[in-house]
Amino acid sequence: MADRSTRSPVRNPRTPAQELLDELGPVTQFHDTTHLGAFGMPSGAMTEDMLSSVATAGTPTRFGPLEKVHAFWFAGMSCDGCSVAVTGATLPSVESLLLGAHPGLPRVVLHHPVINMESGPYYLQPAEQAMAGRLDAPYVVILEGSIADEVVANASGGYWSSTGEEPWGPDGDLRPVTSTEWVARLAPNAAAMIAIGTCATWGGVPSAEGNPTGAMSLMDFLGKDYRSVLGVPVVNVPGCPPIGDNFTETVAAVLYFLQGFGPLPEFDELGRPAWLFGETVHRHCVRGAYYEEGQFAKDFGDPECLVEIGCWGPVVNCNIASRGAIMSVGGCMNAGGACIGCTMPGFPDKFTPFYKRPPGSMASTVVSRMVGSVIRPLRKFSNNNMNREVRWDRQHATPSAFSREKSEPSALAHVNHKFYDALRRSGDTSRNDADVWGKRQDEAPSGGSPRTRA
Amino acid sequence: MCFKTLPVEFDERGNAVLRGGIPNPYDVTVAKPDVDLSEEERRERIESLVARNGHIKDLNMDPVTRIAGALAVHVTADLDKRAYLDSHAQATLFRGYEVILMGRDPRDAIFVASRACGVCGGVHAHAAAYAIEQAMGIAPPPLGTVVRNMTEAAEMGYDNPLHLYLLAGPDYSESVIRSSNPELWPLAERWSCPNEHIHGFKTMSDLMTALNPLTGALYREGLEFTRLSREMVVILTGKYPHPQNVVPGGVSTTVTLQTLNEYHSRLGKIFDYAQRMMAVWDDIPAFFYEADDRYQFVGYRPTTQIDPGYWDDPYAYDATYENCNEWGEKRWSTPGVVIDGELVTTRLTDINIGWEEFVEHSYYEESSTTRFAQDMLGNPLSPYHPWNKRTLPKPGGRDWKDKYTWACAPRWDRKVVEAGCYSRLLMTAMAQKIPDSDFITATGTSMRLLVPKGEVGEREVEWHAPARWNALERNRGRAYHYLFSQLVGLESLLEAYKLMKQGEKRVAALDPSALEKAIPQDERVSVGWWGAGRGWLTHHLVMDKGKITNYQICTPSTINASPRDPWGQPGPYEEAVMNTPIIEDVSDPSRFTSIDMLRAIRSFDPCMPCTTHVHTGEGEVVREVNTCSCGGD
Ligand code: SF4
Ligand code: SF4
Repeated sequence: MADRSTRSPVRNPRTPAQELLDELGPVTQFHDTTHLGAFGMPSGAMTEDMLSSVATAGTPTRFGPLEKVHAFWFAGMSCDGCSVAVTGATLPSVESLLLGAHPGLPRVVLHHPVINMESGPYYLQPAEQAMAGRLDAPYVVILEGSIADEVVANASGGYWSSTGEEPWGPDGDLRPVTSTEWVARLAPNAAAMIAIGTCATWGGVPSAEGNPTGAMSLMDFLGKDYRSVLGVPVVNVPGCPPIGDNFTETVAAVLYFLQGFGPLPEFDELGRPAWLFGETVHRHCVRGAYYEEGQFAKDFGDPECLVEIGCWGPVVNCNIASRGAIMSVGGCMNAGGACIGCTMPGFPDKFTPFYKRPPGSMASTVVSRMVGSVIRPLRKFSNNNMNREVRWDRQHATPSAFSREKSEPSALAHVNHKFYDALRRSGDTSRNDADVWGKRQDEAPSGGSPRTRA
Repeated sequence: MCFKTLPVEFDERGNAVLRGGIPNPYDVTVAKPDVDLSEEERRERIESLVARNGHIKDLNMDPVTRIAGALAVHVTADLDKRAYLDSHAQATLFRGYEVILMGRDPRDAIFVASRACGVCGGVHAHAAAYAIEQAMGIAPPPLGTVVRNMTEAAEMGYDNPLHLYLLAGPDYSESVIRSSNPELWPLAERWSCPNEHIHGFKTMSDLMTALNPLTGALYREGLEFTRLSREMVVILTGKYPHPQNVVPGGVSTTVTLQTLNEYHSRLGKIFDYAQRMMAVWDDIPAFFYEADDRYQFVGYRPTTQIDPGYWDDPYAYDATYENCNEWGEKRWSTPGVVIDGELVTTRLTDINIGWEEFVEHSYYEESSTTRFAQDMLGNPLSPYHPWNKRTLPKPGGRDWKDKYTWACAPRWDRKVVEAGCYSRLLMTAMAQKIPDSDFITATGTSMRLLVPKGEVGEREVEWHAPARWNALERNRGRAYHYLFSQLVGLESLLEAYKLMKQGEKRVAALDPSALEKAIPQDERVSVGWWGAGRGWLTHHLVMDKGKITNYQICTPSTINASPRDPWGQPGPYEEAVMNTPIIEDVSDPSRFTSIDMLRAIRSFDPCMPCTTHVHTGEGEVVREVNTCSCGGD
C-alpha cells in the first residue's frame, strides 16, 4: 500500500487528480457505438429526451436566464446512502428538479444510474460530450462516496471502483474507467463540483483507520486551488447519510442566485452551506433543556440528554434536530440516538469507541448538574403555578378529577406565587389608570372568567 | 438429512458429524455437486456455434443502470436462436469496510458496518448487533426486539416499492414496451385488467403508462410511499439509511405513546396501497404469460433458495448460538433452505455449517484455513466457511475461463442458492412454523394474508409459491412480501402496546458503562443472521481480547451476483440470464436492446454497494472481496 501522506497536496505540489491524469495520459476518442445498435436502450431514447416534452419551461417560470443544467452523479467508495437520502428530499424534491417543476429553477438533467433508462455505453455518452466540450448546457458534477486512490490500484494493474468502459487502453482497447478518473477529467470544465455526504466531503468511513484504498475526499483530490469555471471551490454537503433536503436546498440556492433572484449563498471555510451547518446540533436539540438542567440519560432509551451515553452534539455542526431527517420527521436525538458526529471531518475515528461519553462533557455536565439542582426546583415551582387557572387560585380548588391526589398549594407556596405574579406584572401597562370607558365597569376583571354567581 | 453433497450426516441426537473414512472430506474434488453442463462443455458449444453463426453478439453492459451500485453484465447472445449462450456478472466497485472494522472495539461495529450499504442501511446495523450480542452473550429485553422488528418492517416498506416502481417498473412501462416489444402494445391496449377494481387501471396499456419513469402515476406513488415508510423508520431510528438507535443488547429509542401512534398512523395508510401494489403485480404476469408463454422463462431458475429468517420472537430470542434452532424457527419469517422445490431444513445450524465461499474465478489466491474445525456445538465446519476464511487478492487480467471478477462464490451444500425477500414467503409458507397471527397464515404451499381495512375494505389475499421462479414471479413475490412485512410491523406494534401496558420500558440490556465492562477478553466466535431488502444477510464475527479479529459480511447480492464455482456452476444472475429467451423484436439485429436480460437481472433487485468487502491478515494487506468485481484487467 502506498503511503498516502506523501501524496497529500500540501507536501506534493501535484494534486492527486493531476497525478492520476499524468499517469493515464490525455484521451481523444470515445466509445464507438456504431456496432452497439440499440443495446442498452430499451426505451429507444435517452432519459433526457424522454422527459423533454414535460420538463421544458418558459422564461417566466424559470425567473432567469438558465434553461437547463446537466448534473453528472458519480459514486466513488460509496454505500449509495446519499442517493437514497436525496430520493427522500422534498425541499425541493428531486422529481420536481428533473421535471422542471419547481418555479425559478432551470430544468436539471440528472445522469444518475438509479434513475436512467439507458444502460451500458449510452449511459456515459453525455459525460463524453461534456469532456469534449460538446454538451448543450453547463454541467455540475456531484460525487457521492470517497475518491479511491486509483494510482495505488493502477500500480498493481487493477482499480477500486469503475463506471463503464472507454477505448482508452493500449491501442484503443476498451478499458474500465474509474469514477475517480471521470471526476478528474470532468472537473476542469464543470460549473461546480459538489461533494455530497461525509465520504465525499471529508473521506468518511472508507478513509477511516485501516482503510486499504487510500480513500480521500473530493477536496483532497482536487486540491486547495481548484476552482470551477464559475470560480467556485468544491461545495460540501456532509452527513452520513446527509439530509436529502440539505442537498437539494443547496443546489436550489445556488441556482436561485444564478437565476438572478436569490441572494449569494454563503459557504463556510470548509465549503459547507453556512446557513445549514453554522450551528451545533446541540443548540437546536429537543433534549437541550435536560442538559441545561443537569439531567442525563443513564440507560439507553431514557428521555433525558444523551451526552453521558455518548452524544457529541455540543461540538458537531449539523441541523438534523431542527430540520428532521426526512419530510421534517425524525432526527437523531429526537428518537433517542446519540450524535456520533457523522457530518464532521473527524468522523468516524475521532468519535470512537461509540456509546461512551465524550471526555469534553465532564466539566460542563458537572456545572449543569449544579446549576440544574437550583434551577429545576424553581422551575417546578413556577410550573405548578402556571398549571393553575386564575379562577382556581381564587377558589382554592382544581375542578379536575385527575387532580384528586394533587394537594392545593401550601400557604407558603401561595404567598410565593403571589409574589411571583407581582414580579411578573411589574411594568404591566394594564395597571395604568386610563379610564376604560368602552365597556361596563362591573364586568369580569381581565384574565378571569365571569364572576361566579354565588 | 439435508446435505447431499457435503459428507455431513446426523447422529441420533440430531448433531451433525462428518461421515467417517473420507480423507479431505471438504476438498473440492471430493465432495462434488451434480452439474449438468461443465464449463468446458459450455465453452465448446459456444465456440462451435460462433463458428457457424454470424448472429452471435458478444457484448458487455457496463454499467447496468436502475440497480443499486455498480454492476456490469457480459453476454454472448445468439440472436438467431434467440438465446443468451453465456453470461458473466461483474460488480465494479471495491471498498474496505471489513478491513476498517478489524482491529477495532466491537462497539464500533454497528455504526461502521451500517455504512456497508445505504440502500437498506438499517439491516447491517442490526446484523452487526446480532453478531456482537451472540459473541458477548447479551440478549435484548423484549421491547428492544420489538422496536427492531418495527424498524425492519418499515424498512422493507421503503425498499420494496423503491425496487418495484423506480428500478424494475420502467422495464414494463409504456416507454419500453412500445420501443422494445412493439408487438405487445396493441395487445396491451385491448387487454382489460382483471384487477381494475383495485388499482383503477382499465387496460394494461393504461397501467404500463403509469409505470413510465418520473411521469407515471405508479412511479410517483411508489416514490411517495418510500418516503412514508422512511418516516416510520426515522421515528424509531432518528435517521435513514444509517440508523442512530441500534446498540449492542437492544436499541436506544425513547419509546412513548407518541412514538407508537406516529408509527401506527402512518402504517394505517399503507394497507390500501399494498392492495393496489399486489393487484398491479398480479396483472403484469397475467398479461405477459397470456401474450407470450416464453415469458415463463425470462429470468428462470430452479426453486433453490435460502434464507436465515427475519424478525425475532421477542420472548424466544436469547442471543445464543446454542439455542439458535429454537429461536430461529420462532421468527416471523422462518429460516430455511429449499433445494429443487423441497424444503430441506429450517435449522440455523444447518444453514450455517453448509455455508462455504469459493474464489476459483475471482482475483484471489486460494486461502481457506482450518482455524475452526467445528462450531460451538461441535458441528463440523468447512475450511471454506466464513469463520475460516482468509482471502488473498491477486489482481489480474479478465479472462472468462479463469478469473474474471472480484466476486467470490458462496454456496450451500455446494449448490447454487438464490436469496430474495420473496424467499421469506417461500420458507415461511412451506415450513408452517410461523407464530400464531390473525393476519398471516402459512398453508404449506401458500401464504394467506389478511389486509386490514383502510378506505378500501378488508380483504384476504393469497400468495402461492410459483411453479416456476422467473422475473415476473420475483416481482410478484416482492409485492406480497411488502404486505407480509407490513403485517409483521402491525403485529410488532401491537406487541409494543402490550409491553407498554405492562409497564415495560427497558429497550436495552445494558447501560453504556455495563456494556464496556461486558466486553469479553477471550476469543469469541459468532454470527448475526438477519435479512435485507433482497433477503439473506449474515455477519460472521471473531473477536479476541476485546477486539474484532475477523469480520465477514455475506449479503444477498453477494450470493446472487456470484461467478462460477469450482465445478463450473454459474451464479444465480448468470444462470437466470442463460435461461432467458430473447423475446424482444430482433428482426433487425441492430434493434437488440437486451431488455429480456435486463428484466431477468433487475428482478433480483441487485444491490451492489454492500457486496464488496476487504479484510487484512497480520501485517500485510489481505483483501477479501465477496462480490466486488471489476469489469476487466
Ligand atoms: S442529547 Fe446531545 S445534542 Fe441533545 S442536548 Fe444532549 S448533548 Fe446536546
Ligand atoms: S446529530 Fe450527529 S449523528 Fe445525527 S445526523 Fe447530525 S451529526 Fe450525524
